Amino acid sequence: MVEPKGPGGVSRALNAAWIRPFLFLIFIVVAWDLTIRLFRIPPYQIPAPGDVVVVLWHDWPELMRQAWPTTYATICGFLLSALFGIPVAMLIAGSKTVESYVYPLLVFSQSVPKIAIAPLFVVWFGFGIIPKVISAFLLGFFPVVVSAVQGFKSVDPDMVDLARAMQGSRFHVFCAVNLPHAMPAIFSGLKVSVTLAVVGAVVGEFVGSNSGIGYVLQRSIGTFDLPTMFAALVILALLGVVLFWIVDQIERFVIPWHVSQREEFIFAA
Amino acid sequence: MIRFIAALSSVLVWMALAMAPAAAADKVVLMLNWYVYGEHAPFYYGKAKGIYAAENIDLEIQEGRGSAATTQAVAAKTADFGYVDVPTMMRAAVKGAPVVATGVLLQTSPMSAMGFVEKNIKKPEDIKGKTVAITPADSMTQIWPLFLKKTGLKEGDFTTVAGDGQTKLNAVINGQADLLLGYVMDQSMKIKDATGKDVYPIKFADYGINMVSSGMVANTDYVKANADLVKRFMSATTKAVEAAEKDPKAAAQSILDANPKGGKIDTLTQGFELTVPLYRTPETEGKRPFQVTDQNMTDTVNLLVEYGGLEGKAKDNPKAFYTNDYLPK
Repeated sequence: MVEPKGPGGVSRALNAAWIRPFLFLIFIVVAWDLTIRLFRIPPYQIPAPGDVVVVLWHDWPELMRQAWPTTYATICGFLLSALFGIPVAMLIAGSKTVESYVYPLLVFSQSVPKIAIAPLFVVWFGFGIIPKVISAFLLGFFPVVVSAVQGFKSVDPDMVDLARAMQGSRFHVFCAVNLPHAMPAIFSGLKVSVTLAVVGAVVGEFVGSNSGIGYVLQRSIGTFDLPTMFAALVILALLGVVLFWIVDQIERFVIPWHVSQREEFIFAA
Repeated sequence: MIRFIAALSSVLVWMALAMAPAAAADKVVLMLNWYVYGEHAPFYYGKAKGIYAAENIDLEIQEGRGSAATTQAVAAKTADFGYVDVPTMMRAAVKGAPVVATGVLLQTSPMSAMGFVEKNIKKPEDIKGKTVAITPADSMTQIWPLFLKKTGLKEGDFTTVAGDGQTKLNAVINGQADLLLGYVMDQSMKIKDATGKDVYPIKFADYGINMVSSGMVANTDYVKANADLVKRFMSATTKAVEAAEKDPKAAAQSILDANPKGGKIDTLTQGFELTVPLYRTPETEGKRPFQVTDQNMTDTVNLLVEYGGLEGKAKDNPKAFYTNDYLPK
């Protein structure tokens, strides 16, 4: 009996996991270009994807140079949100008193639009990198805290009791049981936080900066240079993707045992 | 029964009559170049005094977020008219935006570098060694290099800090910057409101920068389709400006009546009074407002092409950017 042929080489390559988003992106770009041609959309409203690619190609060194301050502010802000967010979450999860005092205020503060108070940071801290780091920190702080609280609260109390019954000190039990159990939730919060930190850094730059992608955005909007504006947006999106991927890889390393990290294994007959 | 039917039908007829519209006024949306300040007094005054209503126009005034944003709104027809910096509009027009200036109000530039009077920065040479606050790519920052050229200053002679509109004001108020680039009647008054201290502007126009500034712009398709409305709007706006010139305080008050948080009466009045001298050049002295000369517009275009980064093809037809055809005689 002749066996049906398995999927061919090209088809397998096209189906590889990492190629799919690229294919979808190409599809979106083609659709974008077609829409512009079909509806005759003028270049000062939406730039043609070809023009954006040209700008990316030509101005790549300049854009990379401007991307560095933004990246630096994003990473610093993100690390601060992780550094402060996780301990705050521990406190909130560990103590009903702290939770009842602090958590509602935290939620309240989240609704304050950061772009409105960003100019104040420039007044207080000057025109350097600090206002941008604070802006990135403030945007990234809340997701980390909320997810981490969720994580710490969902630790199985029986496990904790078992470990304590085996004479584990509070600290030892925390490191061996509470923290690992909370890790998956913490990482999901960190992934959201890192993409928000990019936004925060750009908001900080809009408000007061001589450099960075936010500055490039402002400048291109003022001169109606839409291709450059979109190119800057592409760079920001790429920055978010890269940082997200890095956090994802760190997660893979830290919690390889978690169900979300399982690969799909296809067992041949 | 009969009485009931009679009563019901009379009520229905009354309702129908009440709802029948009288000759409806034309709804027009005017978007300003920025949040409201003294320069905008004539529009609010014209609305308050019924000058627009007399031309059968129901005017709605919206504050804007920069001339670039307002120009794009007009190009996209989300606003019927825009009051914007005409050089900024030209940059958009040359990239294909269907906008045209139906009247240029400020025929002399209000752009300036301003700082507290007590800092004693009165001449361009005094700018050396100081800190200047700018907003990247706004209308003044695009002309700033030309001002530096005309006054012999170089970028290295002073420090620059960049931020948005609010940050610029905060920087000067709090001493983080000595000067900011702004319009003589806008930021100077806001700083005076906040600190009570006077501000001295070094006007670009005093150093050979002869170019027009704010004017009324509209979408070219809108103008073609509503020629009569545009004529009536420009006629009403001209009359409103002339009326405001005669009574600056009342004009400023009309801003506050429409927008109680729009500022303080003294500084709004002062701001408007600082704007009036910019309406005319020596060539248009005595003429009605908005009647810009072709020479002034050509000079503006040439200046922008040479130093302001405007594309060269703009020089081919400066008349494409404006029209005086809709102005009252």
